[in-house]
Amino acid sequence: MTSNIPDNDEVPLIQRIIAILWPSFLAAGAAMILLFVVFSPDELLPELRATGVSNMAIYSVTFIFLWATTLFACALSCYFMRPCSRCN
Amino acid sequence: MSMSDDELRANQDHDSLYAKRENIYPREVHGIFARWRIIMVMLTLGIYYILPWINWGVGRQAILFDIPNRKFNIFALTLWPQDLIYLSAILIISALALFLFTAVGGRLWCGYACPQTVWTEVFLWMERKFEGSRPKQIKLAKMPWNREKIIKKGGKHVAWVVFSLWTGFTFVGYFTPIRDLWAQIPGWNMGPWETFWIFFYAFATYGNAGWLREQVCIYMCPYARFQSVMFDDNTLTISYDENRGDPRGTRKRGKDKPADKGDCIDCGLCVQACPTGIDIRNGMQYQCIACAACIDACEEVMDKMDYDPGLIRYTTLNEMSGKGLHIFRPRVFVYTGILLAITLLMLASLLTRIPVGVDVTRDRNILYREAPNGDLENVFVLKIMNQDNKAHNFVVSMEGFEGAVVDPEQPEFHAESGEVIEAPVRVRAAEKLITERSTKIHLRATATDDPKLTDGEDARFIAPGDWFN
Repeated sequence: MTSNIPDNDEVPLIQRIIAILWPSFLAAGAAMILLFVVFSPDELLPELRATGVSNMAIYSVTFIFLWATTLFACALSCYFMRPCSRCN
Repeated sequence: MSMSDDELRANQDHDSLYAKRENIYPREVHGIFARWRIIMVMLTLGIYYILPWINWGVGRQAILFDIPNRKFNIFALTLWPQDLIYLSAILIISALALFLFTAVGGRLWCGYACPQTVWTEVFLWMERKFEGSRPKQIKLAKMPWNREKIIKKGGKHVAWVVFSLWTGFTFVGYFTPIRDLWAQIPGWNMGPWETFWIFFYAFATYGNAGWLREQVCIYMCPYARFQSVMFDDNTLTISYDENRGDPRGTRKRGKDKPADKGDCIDCGLCVQACPTGIDIRNGMQYQCIACAACIDACEEVMDKMDYDPGLIRYTTLNEMSGKGLHIFRPRVFVYTGILLAITLLMLASLLTRIPVGVDVTRDRNILYREAPNGDLENVFVLKIMNQDNKAHNFVVSMEGFEGAVVDPEQPEFHAESGEVIEAPVRVRAAEKLITERSTKIHLRATATDDPKLTDGEDARFIAPGDWFN
């Protein structure tokens, strides 16, 4: 009897982790630049700015939010890349 | 159908085989390429750590990516968000320069200039200071945990962490004035986000240069994946001369070369020296970062054996097969041509750029209000950026809303060179003129002494929503 689990284990764990963390980081950085070239935090969140939240905080939180979002997408991609045969 | 227990176990074992990484302890080498790399490490990291401390004029940090205030200082030049095109152009020019270098010299960038390489080099240096040479490092790794191991490994990590924190601090110093930041360190009163990013970058440095090392090149680097498309048979690569070296074999020193063997004595030093753990004698591999450590290692051996140098060397496929070196070839001309064209375009654009920028924002507190004469009024603030090298007065005008009037708070707004001023203006329209909840208008500022110095932006004149229900 032969197993129908394909031999794809050559993708090391570290490569999978990096494939989730790193492309999402790059994409979040690019999205961040495009977003804030067009809008300033003053325009985007005037109420928040008026309460004394610093630009630095808005930029940082936005970046982390974008990274979390893209990271989620990358993680799902990685999950769906699992061979279908593994589900049985 | 079910698998037997043994088969199941075998498969599980197989599942957990994540191609476990062998630790690499690169052997220290001495030679011309190692010296070049040290020079490049000093140069690139020297620039990195010193640059933010340099001022350009009084109180102006020469290089400051002042993101909170949305402006980049680059020596005398100040770039604003609307100058993104120049930053993109610089990126494109850098990419094309990389293509050109790669076509001619292979992965020179990887071996001598990439931050991953230069920081790893420093981390390796610290590692050797604490743990000694490669054999000692391997011995230490196998040793059970004892006093000596704890001191050596602990010392190394402390040095790595301190160096990483300094790196993180410097990094944040490119975005927040570094002298202010430095003054805040003793009292630990940096902003929370400055603190966060210092530790974030320090952690990235520590992880990448201390732990991940060659895995960054292999798994994270996009350039490593596609650089081969810029290669051809005339690209300089680091190659082992198989015709000369094979068949390999050990031999006694000082004796005549055995007739049945090539020049490679199979000492394995080229493999031990390799920071990515490959054997260059297996031919070109994408893990090779062209650091030339194997060349340095092999040259020493060739010298000791009294053999000719160059068993492993920078060469091209064509040179290797006796067809000679061809540096100048169509690919090189094409890359150079595109590079020159884009550089010239960017320079021309920089020279003809209109150094004034206008951003229009609404008054934060009121969407609209009634003016004394019964008209509807919106308040806008024009952020006028005078990017010219002298002061100007600006007048504000409006287009796009027939019959409405613009009423600036002052007739003229004065802005020094490099200054950003706020020009509040009221836009008024009679109720009968307003046909939409939101009317597009265009607000513009023009220098009084030079009509070419002008810029504007669209804005929206807002009326109460219940007028249109």
